[in-house]
Amino acid sequence: MNDNKLYQLDVHVRWYGYIALIVAILFFSGIFQSAEGPIRALDFTNVLGGFGKLGSLTEGAGTLANDFRGTGGSGGKDAWLFALTIFPAVMLALGVVKVVEYLDGLKAAQKLLTPILMPLMGIPGLCGLTLIASLQSADAGASMLNELSNSSLINDRQKTIFACFQYSAGATLTNYLSSCAVLFPFFSITIITPLVVVFAFKIFGANLMRLYLTKVYKGEL
Amino acid sequence: MEKEAKTNGTIIDAFVEGARNGYKLSANSMVPNVLFAFAMIQILNLTGLTDILGRVFEPVMGIFSLPGIAATVLIAAFLSIGGGVGVAASLYASGMLTNQNITILVPGILLLGASLQYMGRILGTSNVKNNFYPILIAINIINATLAMLLMRFIA
Repeated sequence: MNDNKLYQLDVHVRWYGYIALIVAILFFSGIFQSAEGPIRALDFTNVLGGFGKLGSLTEGAGTLANDFRGTGGSGGKDAWLFALTIFPAVMLALGVVKVVEYLDGLKAAQKLLTPILMPLMGIPGLCGLTLIASLQSADAGASMLNELSNSSLINDRQKTIFACFQYSAGATLTNYLSSCAVLFPFFSITIITPLVVVFAFKIFGANLMRLYLTKVYKGEL
Repeated sequence: MEKEAKTNGTIIDAFVEGARNGYKLSANSMVPNVLFAFAMIQILNLTGLTDILGRVFEPVMGIFSLPGIAATVLIAAFLSIGGGVGVAASLYASGMLTNQNITILVPGILLLGASLQYMGRILGTSNVKNNFYPILIAINIINATLAMLLMRFIA
């Protein structure tokens, strides 16, 4: 009796559940595969797309694609091969960062940053380590910031300014070297330039917050 | 803990550990994001929405000398950096964005990047007062806008 109840009553379906099911059945059914117009998008095979062509060589003639991804691919299949071409760049970049960390390079950066943090953003030098951490991991940076504030090493005003710095382009280094590495081959300028621009605007944003807290904000911190 | 790693590992271990992180990031985060983005752009292409979005956002994106469709990159970036990058790559692959467009967009993707997600992960974790959230998001948008304007002249 109880078991029956469990099977009958406990299933609550939100109204869009039925729509989702119908759409899914249509999506996988293949009936729109060779349809005309926008409805083509409602087909699994069409969204899956196709792999690129590698080109062909006949005797003494013909052209080949630059890499295994080929040319003219689309959809999910093209995404897969494209993503594979990015693996080496991400692995090499993060490997090198680890080596820099191993060789105390990040500590050197921290040491160089520490004396300029106060004039730069109005936060004390002891935030240096947290700042470096926040460039690598959003979560590490934020929890270290919380720790600084809980142990009263920085006040709420400084915390808010520093949080602003971390919030815009969070985990800058990691995101740049992993996610954005996908786009490195397409840049029209050196790889370092956009990173410098981002860093400059992180500091700029923190100063906007600093200005806001000084000039506009009247409430309690 | 850092000390420990240093006494136990060599420089080669450090590199390999970093590269392993890169592999994990690629497989667990980059591939699913890129797949999502390519599928989304494929749907936009199949439905013909790409042209409509391109026309709608043309006036705004024109300020950064970007085509209208570039707006989809920024919208995706606001939700997730991987998503934004994926959309950009997909649009480049289908010839809708140029090398210069990509270069202008990258600082925008980062500075605007994952504002929604980081609201919890950065602002929430560091216990910033809730009434500062709107201005913090506004600063992200200002940062991204100015950075892309600057990139327009560098790229």
